[in-house]
Amino acid sequence: MRKIVAGLILGALLITFVAMILPLEFGSPRMSDMDDYFIRYGQEQTGNNNECTAIVFDYRGFDTIGESTVLFTAVIGVGIMFRRFFGGEEVEDE
Amino acid sequence: MIYEIFHILVLAGLVISASLTFWFRDLLAAVLAAGFFSFLISLEFYILQAPDVAISQAAIGAGLSTAIFIIAIRATGRYEGGAP
Amino acid sequence: MSKLVRFAADILYPVVLIFGLYIVAHGHITPGGGFQGGAVIATGVALVIVAYGYREVTQWIGKGGLMAREVVGLLGFIGTALVAFIFGMPFFYNYLAGQGGLFGVPVTYGPNPGELNTGGTVPLMNFAVGIEVWGGLALVILYLLSGLVPHDDHEKEGS
Repeated sequence: MRKIVAGLILGALLITFVAMILPLEFGSPRMSDMDDYFIRYGQEQTGNNNECTAIVFDYRGFDTIGESTVLFTAVIGVGIMFRRFFGGEEVEDE
Repeated sequence: MIYEIFHILVLAGLVISASLTFWFRDLLAAVLAAGFFSFLISLEFYILQAPDVAISQAAIGAGLSTAIFIIAIRATGRYEGGAP
Repeated sequence: MSKLVRFAADILYPVVLIFGLYIVAHGHITPGGGFQGGAVIATGVALVIVAYGYREVTQWIGKGGLMAREVVGLLGFIGTALVAFIFGMPFFYNYLAGQGGLFGVPVTYGPNPGELNTGGTVPLMNFAVGIEVWGGLALVILYLLSGLVPHDDHEKEGS
């Protein structure tokens, strides 16, 4: 029973995904449109002379949040692997 | 003219240092060759007008990655396949 | 390491620290930014760690300070983006650019000499990400070096 419900939910998600993807035409809008927009309005809208930083930290900020979270998770993982070497006895009690 | 000569020298150094990384049996020398490869590819990024990628590559690839590899070699063994 | 390496590390560490903070602070004018500057500072910290050895370094560089830097950086980055909700703007809206005041000098289109007081929320996010990368990468080196300690007790003085 649970397998059938899980299959139905998975199928519904797949159909929704394909139905959302299919109406989009490949390659539209063209990449040069976005480039021209960033180069023309980037300095006035964000106040940055450096266009790379304006895109990474302002227009595409969610990407940078993901990058920071990935770095944080990687450091936490390394810390869990090396926990018994680091700090001695107070860590062993946990 | 001097620009093309410098660019070709950097590309030749990339190929040579990448080959040396596989050729060495002493792992410490191989790690140093990999660090030199990373420094040269940072120079190549600067020639191709991407200075922020060059800064990131020089700091991560030539500095921290080499240090991590040297720590790993210190914890295990220095020569590939046992003693020379 | 020998006394010569420690002397070189003492001289080089402030220079590398100032250079990394320069890259972070000028991230919205010159090439660079938070991640690159933080990586440069972490390379300087790795130089000090390698020069002085694990046992001496852990007396003045602790796990708590580096972990606090990492957490404060990540929370500061997300908090700077969350403040936009107070002004009634969407997430990640640049609410400081062009308003006058802090980081708010307007910039016109085209080549200009560059003013440090521009950029809106981007310099604040640069500092937050720079502090986070500083703490995170230095903490990775320190954690990896801590695994070596039980093995090199017999050669601690001789090397």
